[in-house]
Amino acid sequence: MSRSERTHRLSALGPGARGRIVRVSRENPDRADRLMALGVTPGAVVTVLQRFPGVVFLCDHTELAVEPAVARAIVVETDEA
Amino acid sequence: MSCAQAAVRESAAPPVLTLRSRPRRIALVGNANVGKSVLFGRLTGQYAVVSNYPGTTVSLTKGRMMAGGEVCELIDTPGVTALEGALTEDELVARRILDPGDTDVVIQVADARNLRRGLMLTSQLSAVGRPMVLVLNMTDEARVHGIVIDADGLSARLGIPVVETVATEGRGIAELREAIGRAAVPSFDAAHRGDHARVAHDLAVAHRRQRRRSAARVQERLGRLVREPLTGLPILALVLYGMYLAVGVFGAQTLVELVEAGLFERVINPGAIALVNRVVPWAIARDFLVGEYGLITMGLTYAMAIVLPVVATFFFVFGFLEDSGYIPRLAIFSDRIFRVMGLNGKAVLPMVLGLGCDTMATMTTRILGTPKERLIAVLLLALGIPCSAQLATIFGILGGVSFAALVTLFGVVLTQMFFVGFLAARAIPGERSEFIMELPPLRLPQLGNIIRKTLLRVRWYLGEAVPLFLIGTALLFVLSKAGLLTRLTDAAEPVVAGLLGLPRDAAAVFVMGFLRRDYGAAGLFQMSKAGQLDGVQAVVALTVMTLFVPCVANFLMMVKEQGPKAALRILGVVTVIALGTGAVLNAVLRGLNVSF
Repeated sequence: MSRSERTHRLSALGPGARGRIVRVSRENPDRADRLMALGVTPGAVVTVLQRFPGVVFLCDHTELAVEPAVARAIVVETDEA
Repeated sequence: MSCAQAAVRESAAPPVLTLRSRPRRIALVGNANVGKSVLFGRLTGQYAVVSNYPGTTVSLTKGRMMAGGEVCELIDTPGVTALEGALTEDELVARRILDPGDTDVVIQVADARNLRRGLMLTSQLSAVGRPMVLVLNMTDEARVHGIVIDADGLSARLGIPVVETVATEGRGIAELREAIGRAAVPSFDAAHRGDHARVAHDLAVAHRRQRRRSAARVQERLGRLVREPLTGLPILALVLYGMYLAVGVFGAQTLVELVEAGLFERVINPGAIALVNRVVPWAIARDFLVGEYGLITMGLTYAMAIVLPVVATFFFVFGFLEDSGYIPRLAIFSDRIFRVMGLNGKAVLPMVLGLGCDTMATMTTRILGTPKERLIAVLLLALGIPCSAQLATIFGILGGVSFAALVTLFGVVLTQMFFVGFLAARAIPGERSEFIMELPPLRLPQLGNIIRKTLLRVRWYLGEAVPLFLIGTALLFVLSKAGLLTRLTDAAEPVVAGLLGLPRDAAAVFVMGFLRRDYGAAGLFQMSKAGQLDGVQAVVALTVMTLFVPCVANFLMMVKEQGPKAALRILGVVTVIALGTGAVLNAVLRGLNVSF
């Protein structure tokens, strides 16, 4: 399966999905900087915990809650082929 | 080796003689929630001084510690996420403390479970160029998560001491004291210098082993229960009920009864009156101290006997919730609602704190991301969030009326807040920041730490709020002696009696409430006890009081945070909304023939 088929926006993943961050959109540099300071950088392992009322995910061992717009900026490559 | 010698190794260090002119300064730096405060307590013992950083209201804790046979000064800095780029006020303060003149040695505290994030900060600290020690704290929790860190390897690679600790149990503290003497400036690979994310990632991968995780399940399960709406909302209701029991019942009734009726009415006030009558020869001075609007009999009694027990209990409960990691999880639920009001979920922090003291909450609005959010939050705090003293009065009066009366009041206040927030989000120019929030692990808070926080906040209350109580009382005294109080009351009467349908005496209460909101609340309580208010009048009066202009202290804090122009504007808007809402509510309730 090609790489593009395994990459998803974090906002599109359901609870329990696991993957590795490949890219954080720099379309909003301020947001990207804040995420980076919290450890949301390419290579980090993420697990989605919850989607409603807000997106909650585990990034390494930091639990983060973000609004959907932020989750859309994080691109993840999932484990399973 | 002593910490003095450690700094000598640094080439840019000042000569030895000036080194001795003040104690070595050591700064504790790290991300939020990594256990800096607990470590601070371990290193310094009991002795700690809290002071504001010059020019800001960011408070710093300073204490003395022994390291290498020398007394050093230890500074606990606010938690930071970064030291470069766009920094918050807390981060700017932390950054300034690292300047050469201010700090000799840095102890970076990192959460052992979040090595990558910790190392990102280490990489930024290396650019600052202070000798440092890296502390990997909470290694016990990390082990539960199956994380093992090669501290020796990391130490060799960075060229700085790396110490593993469990601060809550005091493990690794002796090693840390010893390591301070070996503090050094970390060296990073020149190839990636400046690319903190990359450097941290590579280092973390090289020195961290992830084994099969063992237990951590309870914490995780609890986190999920609190976070998911189906279980989280009932838990929230329980937490609020618990808060009500602790603050509204235990604090506002049991403790107040004990302190007011027991201590003040029986011992302090009679004693003060007897003493003043014997010692002070002038009638007016006696009146000023122990009369109807006396500094002691009114000002001190309200501040210490009625408000302090409530505020102190609230601070204790808030400290517990804060340390347990629960409050940030509330932000997940509230984010959607706050977004409509031009804020984001983070605003839940000042709002919850406002239930204790709106003045303090107004100060904490600075944690919000943009000027627009700060302005809206200050406005909403002033308008709709009742402080603990008011809540006590509301429950005290309306609890005796009916449940429907309580629901009406909170329904009206919340609707107004939502409506005003909705409009403010559209009328006030500027941007809202996005909701990105770290959820600290849920923990059982340490009693010692909660007590320390509560005492600090109570001290803040005694220092900042009590003087304002006394000034307010003095003002009332002058107004009443000059005959202005009656005139003000007369002027307010058409509005109070006509528009709001309240008894004439309520005007005096409102004028008092203008000076100090909880004075007004307490005044209403007296009227209600004397049977001067019917159900509708109680609901209308309390609704107006809740929506009304904040106390003098809160107004002064608004001026400090937003400038006099914005503060006056908020004052005007809030007054109009409060009176308007009261008038409409009165008309509607009377029109529908409601009697609670």
